[in-house]
Amino acid sequence: MRDLALMVNGQSRSLRAKDNLLLLDLLRDGLEVRSVKAACWRGECGLCTVLLNGSLVKSCLVLAAEANGGEVTTVEGISEGEKLTPIQEAFVEHGATQCGFCTPAWVLTTHELLKANPNPSEKEVEEAVGGLLCRCGTYNEIREAVADASKAYAKARKSIVQRAR
Amino acid sequence: MSFGSPYVTLPDFTYHRPTTIEEVLKILKEHGDEAKVMGGGVGLLAFMKERLMSPSHVIDIKGVKELGGADYVPGRGLRIGASVTIAELCQNDLIQDKFTVLHEALSRVADQMIRGRATLVGNLCEAIPWVDSPPALISLDATVEVVGPGGRRKVPVASFIKGPVDIDLGPEEMVASVEVPDVSGMRSTFEKFTSGSEFSLASIAVTLQSQGRKRTARVVYGAVNSTPVRCQEVEQVLEQETSRASIRRAADTAADKVECMSDVLASSDYRKHLVKVVTTKALGRLLQK
Ligand SMILES: Cc1cc2nc3c(=O)[nH]c(=O)nc-3n(C[C@H](O)[C@H](O)[C@H](O)COP(=O)(O)OP(=O)(O)OC[C@H]3O[C@@H](n4cnc5c(N)ncnc54)[C@H](O)[C@@H]3O)c2cc1C
Repeated sequence: MRDLALMVNGQSRSLRAKDNLLLLDLLRDGLEVRSVKAACWRGECGLCTVLLNGSLVKSCLVLAAEANGGEVTTVEGISEGEKLTPIQEAFVEHGATQCGFCTPAWVLTTHELLKANPNPSEKEVEEAVGGLLCRCGTYNEIREAVADASKAYAKARKSIVQRAR
Repeated sequence: MSFGSPYVTLPDFTYHRPTTIEEVLKILKEHGDEAKVMGGGVGLLAFMKERLMSPSHVIDIKGVKELGGADYVPGRGLRIGASVTIAELCQNDLIQDKFTVLHEALSRVADQMIRGRATLVGNLCEAIPWVDSPPALISLDATVEVVGPGGRRKVPVASFIKGPVDIDLGPEEMVASVEVPDVSGMRSTFEKFTSGSEFSLASIAVTLQSQGRKRTARVVYGAVNSTPVRCQEVEQVLEQETSRASIRRAADTAADKVECMSDVLASSDYRKHLVKVVTTKALGRLLQK
């Protein structure tokens, strides 16, 4: 057993866990962050994707011990409470959500993409989300939603740049 | 408290996070076969979930400073530390321009999230027939730097991979880096054929180096047999001429000479066909450059 302390969505959390615990299970079962989904456990579906120290990782392929002293962000950490973010809005608008099981991973991954690159090409979008699977098969709707959300991000960036001038 | 998935668990082990190579070697010496080095963990954790491996000590090398970094020294070449991720290498412009075959092989490994964790050295050490880095490294005449109780030794990648999931590494040793010798005037490319997932059913790594009128070619196939297969007959074709017509000759020669295995993924006949396909595609791109 080992004492772990980490920041999860800006809050400091601590718990005791065995060395063989996965970050996925620490988040879901230890800390009850249920937006992090467990499906394939082998790095193929990407639905357990979270940000670990600023990088997107599939949390089923990371040990909880590796996150000790680090910072984890899940979709809750980039949400604004009841108010929908432009990405969430675009996903709803385009019906890119269907059963909703995979949605948190898509929203988080899209957020990371658009933060770094508010105006991605189709190829860049494909690259960024290439590790995620949606079993309802809403890929077209997701594509549309990402394109739509990118307009909001590009606009926001433009206004920041203008204000800075 | 005890929690974790009721479906997929890892066997019990002790997690180590050393900060120096000496510490890694000390843990390896103490526990031998019972300990496993972990780079990204992408492969290791998967093997452990399936109980293909059950080490009682896992040594995470991400905190070992000396194992980070990819350094290029003109005349000497490129040295890639064992904890450098595939994503870091994909972003390296020098690798893209100078060692294109490695860049192309690595940028087609899995997806961005996996590449962000997985290391080149871990990919190589996995030595599964379908992993993508070994053919590229062999085509570049790369060597592996192994450290252990007896000091350091260098092994060509081609002989480091002894068989499927079998590498030239003792229980008390680890890989510190991979070294790619410097070259000038080299063109190179990588191509792979996949079906249904990212896993290669056939891949090819080609390097072509011209020095004056002399041309040297290296052609290595991956995923078609239990270890990477170098094909000297195809190399000879390319060393003689690099016209459009030689592409067809090279592809036919490859299908004739490259020994292919049958397994659950594909028959040897199908793989022979794929050898032809990847050869044609790779050379088509390379000889147009
Ligand atoms: C969904 C998915 C898709 C994939 N697709 C591809 C693909 O398209 N192409 C491809 O090539 N691969 C693919 N892979 C495999 C993946 O690339 C490898 O598992 C990964 O590169 C291994 O690197 P790692 O750093 O995570 O190694 P680890 O998991 O840390 O280690 C793998 C093995 O190497 C040993 N090892 C690691 N580092 C050292 C060292 N320094 N010294 C001695 N031994 C060491 C470990 O003990 C272990 O046995 C895929 C994997 C997944 C999960």
